[in-house]
Amino acid sequence: MADAFVIETSGLRKHYGPGGQIEALRGLDLHVPPGSIHGFLGRNGAGKTTAIKVLLGMARPTSGEARVFGLAAHVQDASVEIRRRTGFVSDDKDLYDYMTVAEMIRFTSPFFPRWRRDLEERYLRKFELPLDRKVKALSRGMRTKLALLLALCRGAELLILDEPTSGLDPAMTEEVLQALVAHVAGEEMTVFFSSHQIAEVEQIADRVTIIDRGRAVVTGALDDLKESFRRVQLVFEGDAPDATFRTPGVARVRRKGRVLSVLSSAGAEALVDEARRLNPLSVDVAPVTLKEIFLETVTVEE
Amino acid sequence: MLWYKSWLETRWRFVIGLVLLMFSAASTVFTYPEVIKLISGMPNPDLSGALGRRVSETVALARDFRGYVWSQWFRQNLIQMWGIFAVLLGTGGLVSQASGGGAIFTLSLPASRNRLLGVRAATGLVEILVLAIVPPLLVPVFSTAIGESYAVSDALVHGACMFIAGTVFFSLAFLLSTVFSDVWRPALIVFCVAVAVGLSDLVLRDLPLVSVVRLMSGEAYFRTGTLPWPGLAASVVVSSALLYAASRNIARRDF
Repeated sequence: MADAFVIETSGLRKHYGPGGQIEALRGLDLHVPPGSIHGFLGRNGAGKTTAIKVLLGMARPTSGEARVFGLAAHVQDASVEIRRRTGFVSDDKDLYDYMTVAEMIRFTSPFFPRWRRDLEERYLRKFELPLDRKVKALSRGMRTKLALLLALCRGAELLILDEPTSGLDPAMTEEVLQALVAHVAGEEMTVFFSSHQIAEVEQIADRVTIIDRGRAVVTGALDDLKESFRRVQLVFEGDAPDATFRTPGVARVRRKGRVLSVLSSAGAEALVDEARRLNPLSVDVAPVTLKEIFLETVTVEE
Repeated sequence: MLWYKSWLETRWRFVIGLVLLMFSAASTVFTYPEVIKLISGMPNPDLSGALGRRVSETVALARDFRGYVWSQWFRQNLIQMWGIFAVLLGTGGLVSQASGGGAIFTLSLPASRNRLLGVRAATGLVEILVLAIVPPLLVPVFSTAIGESYAVSDALVHGACMFIAGTVFFSLAFLLSTVFSDVWRPALIVFCVAVAVGLSDLVLRDLPLVSVVRLMSGEAYFRTGTLPWPGLAASVVVSSALLYAASRNIARRDF
């Protein structure tokens, strides 16, 4: 694999449980270019956390390959090097309850030769973290801020955040996201963050991968996705026909009464031409939001 | 810093163990005048059966301070109490911390699993070594207060035997802690194994078996002045194998 991507996976599979019954990842292909803020969207249980654990060497892939900075994530020495160059915040903001904030910082910093004292001081002030308070006595929001501080000050080239705002109230979520955006604006780094909060992905990401049941179903630059995805709505005089479309890029077709709704990932022109042959009363083309793309690509049709 | 973390995680078990074992050393020495007063006019009881023979021997040994310290403390109280803390210090670690205990944060650090596990094992081994050496060294110190004497070399040899042989129980607890996600199951299993080993030593005393309990108490050294090198070497091999198995277990585990 070329080294053009900070994160690259191909055909990544991870099976858990007795006999590998649980398929957490089913051939995941990921490509995260350097310098991007890459949102990793998926429902709960879609495989986001498993993918992140494989990237950081916490879980071994069943098959396929995962590379970070061009290094194989499943090789122990390479994995140590990956973690040396990566800041990470886990979903549950898993820290040591028995340490104080100051001890957590004192413990973490020696592992990272490029630890940023200037950022440490800045974020201690900005987040108003009490140095002498034990982690177990911190609120959820404060824990998140401490976890973020410990990740941001590593002097990392890559930041991997697993649901960084989960469990936070809207004000705290906004504060964390603003801090993140401000940090990335000032540093040359790549951010890969998982979420099921579409609004926050739209707010800060420039690239998106949507994962569903262990596979990437949509991936690309956010602006490109918004540009290329279109909803074509056809209204018929009677019930909408049970039509199939040959135009490339048809992601989903829904029939409801007189309305046939088609989601295209490759623009609308060719699709509209094909749709007109069905003699609808009207044809409407509308842009779609990331939320609609997400819901259409991950929701199971009943 | 991993040493510091391991120390923070185990310090209370260690400190409580140290205080209790030191208290046990003091109480063993300072009750000797009472014991010798009680048994001085008593003939040696002639009892049958494994337990009876043990009681007879204990009374006979107690007539001499060195024999009393060995039979009451090194052979019984110390190895039992030390064994409990060796097992407790062997439990815990990455697997039990996997759910909300900081294991994911630890694994996100640029340190190999072998290093994480090695530091944890080394911290535990140093702690149980201190528990095996410091309390016995108090015996010669306290002995002078009651007008008796006890050789520092005897205290060191018995402590070393207990540490080398007893590390098998620490290592077993350490290995089981890489299998079970709580600290209680490994501890309970090793305690059951230790009790079974202790009982079999009592019942099968006449069989020429290498007993971990006898190795831990330094019985050969007490009776003959020689060290049981083959038994101690076997203990080191078994402990090393258990620790290696633990490292393999952690290396292939998903978190």
